[in-house]
Amino acid sequence: MPDAHVLKFTGDGRYLMTIGTPGQKDGPDSQTTLNRPAAIAYDAAANEVFIADSGNHRIVVFDADKGTYKRHWGAYGEKAMAEGGGAYDPNAATPSRQFRDVTCVEIARDGMVYVCDKSSNRIQVFDKSGKFVKEAVIAKNTGGGILAGSFGVLNAAGSVWDVAFSNDQPQRYLFVADGMNKKVRILQRDTLAEVGAIGSGGRYPGQFLVVNSVAVDSQGNLYTGETHHGKRVQKFTPGK
Amino acid sequence: MKRMRNLLIGATLVALFAVLGAGQHLLQQTAQAQAAGAVMAPRFEVDPTFPKPLPNGMYQGQSIGLWVDTQDHVWIVHRPDVLDAAEGAAQQTPPTAECCKSAPPILEFDPAGNLLRSWGGKDGPGFQWPDSNHGLNIDNKGNLWMGGNGGSDGHMIKFTQDGKFLMQVGKKGVTRNSLATDQFFQVAEMFFHAASNEVFVADGYGNKRVAVVDPDSGKVKRFWGAYGKPPDDAGSLAQGAYDPTATYQHFRGPVHCAMVSNDGLVYVCDRTSNRFQIFRIDGTYVREVYTQRDSRGDGSVWDIDFSRDPQQRFLYVADGRNQKIRIFDRASLTELTTFGKGGHYPGEWYSLHNLSTDSKGNLYTVETYQGRRLQRFLYKGLAPVAGKQTGVAWPTGQ
Repeated sequence: MPDAHVLKFTGDGRYLMTIGTPGQKDGPDSQTTLNRPAAIAYDAAANEVFIADSGNHRIVVFDADKGTYKRHWGAYGEKAMAEGGGAYDPNAATPSRQFRDVTCVEIARDGMVYVCDKSSNRIQVFDKSGKFVKEAVIAKNTGGGILAGSFGVLNAAGSVWDVAFSNDQPQRYLFVADGMNKKVRILQRDTLAEVGAIGSGGRYPGQFLVVNSVAVDSQGNLYTGETHHGKRVQKFTPGK
Repeated sequence: MKRMRNLLIGATLVALFAVLGAGQHLLQQTAQAQAAGAVMAPRFEVDPTFPKPLPNGMYQGQSIGLWVDTQDHVWIVHRPDVLDAAEGAAQQTPPTAECCKSAPPILEFDPAGNLLRSWGGKDGPGFQWPDSNHGLNIDNKGNLWMGGNGGSDGHMIKFTQDGKFLMQVGKKGVTRNSLATDQFFQVAEMFFHAASNEVFVADGYGNKRVAVVDPDSGKVKRFWGAYGKPPDDAGSLAQGAYDPTATYQHFRGPVHCAMVSNDGLVYVCDRTSNRFQIFRIDGTYVREVYTQRDSRGDGSVWDIDFSRDPQQRFLYVADGRNQKIRIFDRASLTELTTFGKGGHYPGEWYSLHNLSTDSKGNLYTVETYQGRRLQRFLYKGLAPVAGKQTGVAWPTGQ
C-alpha cells in the first residue's frame, strides 16, 4: 500500500496520532490526505507541523496535537498542481513554477522555512505563512534518475536532499545534503552563497554514497545519514 | 628551523616512550595470561584512517583480490565496471553529478594509505583482460598475477608492478574442463610458492580443482580435486543443492583459495562446502576442516592467510557469509576465536572476500558485492581469547 501518512509517537514509541490515510491519495488540494510525505518540521511557536508532502508537490501545515489542517502551498508560494514540475531540464529557459520532489522542510529560529526541491536542484525559502522569500539553485546541471536494484527503488537525482542549520544563535550557516554529488555543502544562510563543502564520494569514513539526511546537535556536531548502499550514520565534529 | 627540529625530535621521543610503555604493558599482560593457562590468539584493531580517500573522484567497485608486497604496499584488484548510475554519476552521458568515476582496477597503496600506482582494465598486445576480475598475487620477482571469473575467462595474466604485460596462461572463450593443461576456467585466486617456484591456482568457479603452474613457462604441472583425487566436473556438478549433513566427494566450489604455508601444506577453500582441505604440495590429501557448516548461499570459507611468525602458528579464514574472520590454531586446527560482524562501519564487513597480512602482522581485508572497501586491522600482539565471537575489532586507544 503506498505510503500517504504521517505517524506521531511518544519518545517511547507509544502511538499518538495519524495524519493522512495509508494508500489514500487525493491530490494537492486535499486537507486530509498526503502523498509520500518525506519530511516533517515542528514549529513550537504555533504548535504546528510542516510536512514536505513530496508526491503532492507542496508544503502542508497541520495542528500538531489535533492533526487539523491549517494551510498549504506549492513552489513560489503558488498553487500546487498534481503534475508537479515534470522532468528536470538544466537548460530550461525558466525554472518550473511547480515543485518536483519536496524532500525537506526546516524552520530557522528567525521563522524562515527552508524547503528542498530535490531534483530541481533548488532550495526555496518561505515565511511560516507560505509567502515566498527567495530561492537558490545548487549545482544546476545535477541530474540522475530512478535506480532499481536489490536495494529497492531509489530516486537518485538532484543536489538538494536535506538541510540543517549551524548551532550558533543566528544560524549563520546552512548545511545541504547533496546526494548525487556526494558531499555536504555549506551555505551562508543570509545570502545562500556556497562557502564550503565536506566529503567526497565513496564508502570510507568521511565519504558518502548518496547522503540523504543532515542534522546538527547542540555542540555543533554534524550528523549525516546515507541511503542507497551507503547505509550509515556518520558524525563530523567542528574544526578547532 | 633548528627549534622546529628539536621539537620534532622531542615529539618523536615522547611517541617512542609511549610505544615502549604500551609494549611493556602488553608483554606483562601476555606473560600473566600465559602463566594462567589462558588460550592466546592474535588480537587486532581496525584502523579507520586506512586507506585515505581515493583522489580525483575515483570510486572503488567490488573488491575481489588482495596482496601485500615485500615493501608492505597493499595491492588490490576491484571491478570498476560494476558502479551504478549513482556511484558513477560523473561518467554518465551526460554526467549527472560531479562525482564519481571508476578507479582503474589495479590499485597500490603505501603503508600510510596513499594511492600510488593504478592501472589496467583493457586488452593489450598479447593479452586479454578478464571479463570479471578475480584474485591477485605477487611473485618473488614482484610481478602481479591475476585471474578472472567471467563467463568466458579461462586464463591468468601476469604484469610488472608498472602494468607492463609479461605473460598470459590460458585464454578466454573456453568452457569447463578440470583436466585441461592449457587453460583454466574462472580462476578465483593464485599463490606463488617460492620454495618450489610454483604458482598454486584456485581453479575456480567453473573448474573445480587446484592446478600447479610453472611461473616462467606457464605450463600446468599437476592438478587435483577434493581429497586429492582427479577432478571430476560431472561428479562435482551432480552433487546438487547443499545439504549440511552431507560429505561431498568433489569440490562444490568455487575453489576460492589455494594458499601454501612455510611448512609446505596447501590450504584450499571449498567455499560453498563450508570447508577447507589441506594437501601436501604434491597433492596428497591430509585432512579437512568445516566451519559453520549450516551456512548457505555463498558459503563460509572465502580466503585464508597465515600469521607472520615463522611457524605460522595461526590461520586466518575470511568468512564472507557470516561476516567474520576466524582464527585457527594451525597445528591443532582448532578455531580459537572470531572477530567482526556484518555492516558498513569500520571493522564491519559486507561480503568479506579476501584477507592478507603484512610484515608486521597487520591484516587487510577487501569486500565484494556492496561492501567495496579495503580495510586494515592493526596487529596488537597475542592476547587471551575473550570468547568465540568477539565482535568488531574496535580501537581501544591502547
